[in-house]
Amino acid sequence: MSENILEQIGKIANETNSKVVTLRKGETVIEVEKDNLRNFITHLVQDLKVRNLTTITGLDLGQEIGIMYHFSYERETIHVRTKVAKTSAAPSIVKIIPGAILYEMEVHDMFGTGFEGNPWNDKKLLLPDNWPSDLPPPLLKSSKPAEIRKRLHLEAEPKK
Amino acid sequence: MLEQLAKWARTRSPWVFHINASSCNGCDIELVASLTPRYDIERFGAVLVPSPRHADVLIVTGTVNAQTKEPLKRVYSQLPEPKHVIAIGACAATGGVFKGCYNVGQGIQDVIPVDMFIPGCPPRPEAIMYGVLKLLGEVE
Amino acid sequence: MSTDVDKRREESAGLMEYSAENLVPFGPIHPSLKEPEYFKIILEGERIVDVIPRIGYVHRGLEKAAEMRPWVQNMYMFERTCGICSFVHSLCYGQAVEGLTIFQVPKRAEYIRLIICEMERIHSHLLWVGLMGHWAGFDTLFMWVWQDREVVLDLVEAISGNRVHKSMNAFCGVRRDMPEGMEKHIVERMKFMTDRARYYREIIDTEETMLERTQKVGAHVTQDTVEKLCAVGPMARYVGLRQDVRLNNPYAAYGEVPFEIVTRNEGDVQALLRLRLDEIIASANMISYAVENLPDGPIKVKIPPVIPAGEHSSRCEAPRGEIFYYVKSTGGRTPDRVKSRQPTLANLPLALEILKGQTLADVPVVLTAIDPCFGCMDRMSFLDTEKNKQWTWSGEQLRQYGINYYFPDRKDKA
Repeated sequence: MSENILEQIGKIANETNSKVVTLRKGETVIEVEKDNLRNFITHLVQDLKVRNLTTITGLDLGQEIGIMYHFSYERETIHVRTKVAKTSAAPSIVKIIPGAILYEMEVHDMFGTGFEGNPWNDKKLLLPDNWPSDLPPPLLKSSKPAEIRKRLHLEAEPKK
Repeated sequence: MLEQLAKWARTRSPWVFHINASSCNGCDIELVASLTPRYDIERFGAVLVPSPRHADVLIVTGTVNAQTKEPLKRVYSQLPEPKHVIAIGACAATGGVFKGCYNVGQGIQDVIPVDMFIPGCPPRPEAIMYGVLKLLGEVE
Repeated sequence: MSTDVDKRREESAGLMEYSAENLVPFGPIHPSLKEPEYFKIILEGERIVDVIPRIGYVHRGLEKAAEMRPWVQNMYMFERTCGICSFVHSLCYGQAVEGLTIFQVPKRAEYIRLIICEMERIHSHLLWVGLMGHWAGFDTLFMWVWQDREVVLDLVEAISGNRVHKSMNAFCGVRRDMPEGMEKHIVERMKFMTDRARYYREIIDTEETMLERTQKVGAHVTQDTVEKLCAVGPMARYVGLRQDVRLNNPYAAYGEVPFEIVTRNEGDVQALLRLRLDEIIASANMISYAVENLPDGPIKVKIPPVIPAGEHSSRCEAPRGEIFYYVKSTGGRTPDRVKSRQPTLANLPLALEILKGQTLADVPVVLTAIDPCFGCMDRMSFLDTEKNKQWTWSGEQLRQYGINYYFPDRKDKA
């Protein structure tokens, strides 16, 4: 039952020092420390059987990158959020949820955050092959589309 | 005399190669719908071919993105002369609703020369047929 | 099928550990273009051992663009993520944003949203059935199905003004009302649609071409694999999982209109055909009910252009599976972050699992069966490790190979 699941999540959150925030009916955010992330998700998936990972979203929070894992369980949507410094890597959850592999690659492409333990961490998912290695990842607030287009040679060539 | 015969054949039965350069598929499904019994572009002799080397006309949908720019140029060079290019949809003409996005060009005429634009998002099958046949009228 | 095939299927079933270690990035988010080495298939003789695709051909940078455009403009941009399920994309985004405001969607608008969603589902499934016919070598089915699809497109055009990108959604409502006097016509057309779907159902169950190409193909997938790989939509329902957003988490008018979930247990490509055709019938019933019980009232509520700060997510059931949108606002005129997850991306790991152990001739049918957005098989390259041979084929060449493999005596090759 949905109420039960929120109670049980609350218990795990207490054990792992995580904060539970109820956004509204049917949506809950749990703020987890990076080091407790794998532990928390293992409990979620194996003990509570919350197996359906919808996707992983990256957020540019200024100094840090926020990573949100969205789970669905019956009528509840459970967001697990963790924060990672812009230059460091996050722990990968591919061993717990194999379906997370592509989502982690997408966050890596868009925000530059590596995932330790993801076997395809060095491969591109969405970005083109000719993406210059010195260009910052596109979804950071500091990246400008016009600049990116120029570096990718997508601007119109001047008429001769 | 042989040239006139070839021109007649090309106009009466254009062989078309279709390429999707990062389109949302709206234009693609309207193009495929023009093959189906209600619109039936095949009665005008137009045939979709599997290889660019057999085609007279190249139909492009979608605006070019960084990954598809080189393949588009490559396919264009594989078409034998004389060749024509039709750009279907708003995206192929100017970038459409994606103008300004970081991974897209502003229309395919920056990459290959275009003979005919068919505007719409997506254009109806009738509009596509009208465009293809008008282009051939130009040839004639 | 030989026991060698069964052994290979057993070995490769559910082996995500194997996949994760030995494979390279794969899958399209959207349909791709005719491009060499878009799919790289590694074979041992006739059997597929690996599939290595490359993604990113339709990556346009929508999420970044969304951060710079006003809220309402994004609705029409996200509609163009996909031409086939465009309405449901704009609906999901709209619902995610509406949840941040204090406004409620009027009942009449919710019913109209449901009607258009289900019409979209019918047109998408018919499109897919036609494509399956084409790839399996049964072009007559393709022509007939797409002819019937025009019936639904005519209805959509009568209501919204366009066949593909309907642009019917607005925040807290829809932009156009149902035209007067159309109810009887819609109900009659839905009855026609149901009859046609039943007829096609009979064809796929009895017609030799379809049976050869679809029965027991790709049947080594288990429920556990599907759950581990987080597949959605018909790809979860065809192994018996009751996973449907319309049932688990109803949105729009789905809580009020009677809904019957369709699942199957066989887990092969034929099950997918049966499932999608049955869904067409279920959709037709829902549309008839909604049209006959359409409540009166306004169709739209005007909301201010500044959306309050907060975060909200929304899910919808597109024809291909579950769509998810997450929206974050900092109280401005443009979003801070919009994230969209399309169902084809979620089903890709599963597609890989299904392909392993199949024969080369099954590739076009299996790849179309997962219902990727159209056209993903435009070009493929192959590597045969037994014979040490490498070659590239277009989708059409692969399709001909499949037809010749299964029906070597056929002269017409249609």
